Parts: sequence; structure tokens; C-alpha cells
Amino acid sequence: MSGAGRLSAQIGIVVGIFLAWEAAVQTGVANPRIVPPPSQVLPMALAMLGDPEVLHHLWITSAQVMLAFVLVAPLGVAIGLLLGESDYFGRAFKPFFYFVASVPKSVFLPVFILAFGIGFTQKVAFGMFQAIFVLVISAIAAADSVSADYLKMARAYGASRRQIYQDIYLPAMLPVIVEGLRLGMIFNITGVLFAEMYVSRAGLGHLVANWGMSFEMVKLFAGILLAAVLSIAVNESLRWYEKRIGAWRG
Amino acid sequence: MTDLAGATREAGDREPKRPLIGPYLLRMLCLLAILAFWELAPRMEWVSPVMLAPLSATVVTGVSEIGLFAGNLAVTVGSLLLALAIAIGGGAVAGLLLGGIKALRETLLPIMSSIYAVPLVVVYPVFTAWVGIGAESKVLFGGIYGFFPMLLATAAGIQTVDTRYMIAARSMGASRRQQIIHIMLPAALPSIVSGVRIGAAMTAIGVVVAEMMAATAGIGFLITQNRTMFNTAEVYFGVFLVLLLAGVIDWAVRSLERRAGAWYPHKVKML
Repeated sequence: MSGAGRLSAQIGIVVGIFLAWEAAVQTGVANPRIVPPPSQVLPMALAMLGDPEVLHHLWITSAQVMLAFVLVAPLGVAIGLLLGESDYFGRAFKPFFYFVASVPKSVFLPVFILAFGIGFTQKVAFGMFQAIFVLVISAIAAADSVSADYLKMARAYGASRRQIYQDIYLPAMLPVIVEGLRLGMIFNITGVLFAEMYVSRAGLGHLVANWGMSFEMVKLFAGILLAAVLSIAVNESLRWYEKRIGAWRG
Repeated sequence: MTDLAGATREAGDREPKRPLIGPYLLRMLCLLAILAFWELAPRMEWVSPVMLAPLSATVVTGVSEIGLFAGNLAVTVGSLLLALAIAIGGGAVAGLLLGGIKALRETLLPIMSSIYAVPLVVVYPVFTAWVGIGAESKVLFGGIYGFFPMLLATAAGIQTVDTRYMIAARSMGASRRQQIIHIMLPAALPSIVSGVRIGAAMTAIGVVVAEMMAATAGIGFLITQNRTMFNTAEVYFGVFLVLLLAGVIDWAVRSLERRAGAWYPHKVKML
């Protein structure tokens, strides 16, 4: 199947799902009070993007996600590179990070509430906590992915330290690190939304949880649609970048 | 090779000096420091006892209320087992279909891997609105949470089947059924089992997270209930039990993995 054919098939599938959903409600197979039809959900989602109150909550969620990401990205990558490059620290602390990375971290949310309260800081701290371990692990993998043969070759031809970093280390490590950043970002978004749904006074997660409790199904579905579209957009753009800078690997 | 590596070693790092403490010892010392901090910080009031209950108080409280914790843990495990059936069973079947059939692999599978990026927590209110805050919503949510990783791992496993084996089997007249049973399934098994490991862990997280948000029983519910009452020691003990549960699941799947590994000839390298 060609690239364009594949894409149109995929668009067809997504459109088909929405049409089937609409048809199920219109024909009475699904109860519109339980499963609101797309003809109500899609306009509601668009209206929300013009609603100052929803935008305010959306902005708070985005600010928490972005601040957590900006803080955790350099920290996680730095720790990972230190552990990957230094044999001593690597042997001392790698097992610790591998272990904690495999542990379910969502369950620590109540601990963050006890420590930081229920405000902005707690959401940012929890988002960072969700993201940091996958960042560290991928930065360790990035450090390991630098080919010893390329290094030998570069040194043999008298490459300077700067050239070695710029032309060997960076291209080798960047795709792996960006993959880690992408996964970290997903975990970060999930963590912030979960924290907002759990206990919060603001944010998209707070709105979604409230709409669920008050059975406002159209708003609930529209909110979920917004969260889904935004996180898919973030994920796909990072994935596109990852592919582009990793293209040299073939 | 060794002398070449030696010759190209950077001038700076000749023979590394022996560090004062070995890496293993350093790790153990850090672990000890964390445990000591956990015990001492709340006792000496370096941090508020609401934030952190001393290690000893956590253990004592947990043990004294072990019946309560065990009862709620049993509720969680019950939901988890049902959710696992959805996640592992459904994920494996969907993964075999989406990975094994070319048209689906090229169209639906990428959509599934995009959906995997969606923070599924936001869907939980839909389940509570549909089926209430009882065990059903936990089973559904946990099942969906583990379904996607299971699906993707199974589909990836099916794709890695060496086409030369398939061609050989087909040219020797193997039926479609024989191809699936004797080639595709055994070759995909390692990926499927690693999918089970990730999927089972995610299912457990899903069930506990759902219990934390809205429930009437279960270990996640117990944690949340104690958090609202500022019973810090109970919260920490509950978290510890969830980690223990995750550890037990991981151990169980790993021993399953070893058995599957013993059956599947790893030494035949699949190119």
C-alpha cells in the first residue's frame, strides 16, 4: 500500500468510527444520555476552545506540564549521561534507576499531596517524578549507543574534542534522547492530568472529573477528545522529530 | 584488539585511581542513608510528621491493622484478575489480528500506537458514569489500561517472524493453521510474554489508580481514605503493599517467561 493510500485508509477508519458512533445513537442502539453522539461532542469541543473558562483551565494544565518538562528534561538527561559515561557512578546507581523505573509511580500521588499540598507545585513535582526515570534510562542508553568504532576512527584521523562531541556523540545520542523525552512527556502529561483529577481546584483533569461526577456526558466526552487530540499532537510531533534526526542510522 | 583499544585511550584516563569506596558499597550506603532519613527526619521533626511517618511507625501501624489491609488487598486482587483477562486475552487476540494481517497492520496498527499516547486516566469518569464506582469500573479501566501495551507487544512480536521460515513452510505445503501454530506463535512468543509482563503491570496500576479516584473498597481506596484523614503511616503502608503486589506480579510473569524461554529455542538466532 502506498503512503498516500495508507493515510487515506486511516482517515477513512477514523471517520468511519465517528460515523458508526453517530449512527448507533441515531438508530437508538446507544442511549444518547450515556453515549452522546459526535454531532454534539465535536461542536462542544470546538466551543470549549472559545470558552475563556475552559481555556483558563487548559492553560493551567499546559503550564504545569511545560514547567515540569523544562525542569525535568535537563535534570534527567544529565543524570543519565553521568551514569552512562562514568563507570563508577554507573555501577553504583544504575540498578537503582532500573528498579524504580519498573515500579508503578502513580501510587505515590498521595505522598506528593502530603508533601506539597494540592496546588500548582504538587502537580509540577508529580509530573517531574513520573517523567524522570524514563529520561534517565534513555540517556543511559544514549550514552551506550555511541559507537566505539566511530570514536576510534575519529581519533585516529585526529579529530578535535569539539569535533568528536559535535559529529560523533551528538548525532548518535540525540535520537535516543529525543525518544526518552517523548516518553517522558507522555508520562508527564498523564501524571499532571491524574493529579488534577485526583485532588485539585483547577486544570483540564479537574474539569473532566467534575463533568463525570455531574453526568455532563457531552462536556465529558468533549474534554476527553481535547485531552486526546492535544497529547497525540505532542507525541506525533516529537516522533516526527525523532525520525528526522535518527534518519542517518538507516 | 586490546592493545589497539589501549593505544587509542585518551591521555587523561590512563589507569583509573581506585575509588575510596566501591560502587556497590556506595549504593548500599545511599540506601541506608535513605532508610535512616525516613526514620529520623519525622522523629527529629526535620520534616512534618504529616509528610512522612517514621519507617518503624509505618511498619507497626501496618502490622497492627493487617486484617483491614489484607481485606482491601483481596478486593483489589479480585478486580485485577478479571481485568487481566480483558487486558491479556483481548490484547493478545487483537495484537495477533492487527500484527498478522497486512491490511490491518498498515492501517489500524499505527492508529493504535498513536492512541497509546493518550493519557487514559481522563477516560475513567466515563466508566464510573456508565457502571458506577463499584468493582466493574475498576475491572473495565484496568483492562483497557493493560490492553494497549499487550496489543502493541503482540503485534510487534508477530511482525518479527522471519519471512524465510514462512516461505519455507509455505513451499513445503504447510496449511495456514500449521503456519500459525508451528511458526508464527512460537516465534512471537518471547514478545508476547514480554507484552504480558508490561500489560500485567499496567493493568495493576490501572486498577489501583481507579480505586484511588472513586471507589468503596480496595487498597487504592484505603490509601485515599487515609490520606484525607492525614493518617500518614497508613498511606505509606498502603503504597508499600501496592509496590509489593507489583513485585509479585512481575516475579510471576518472569518465571512464566523463563519457562517459555526454556521451551523456545533462543539459540536459533532469528535474523
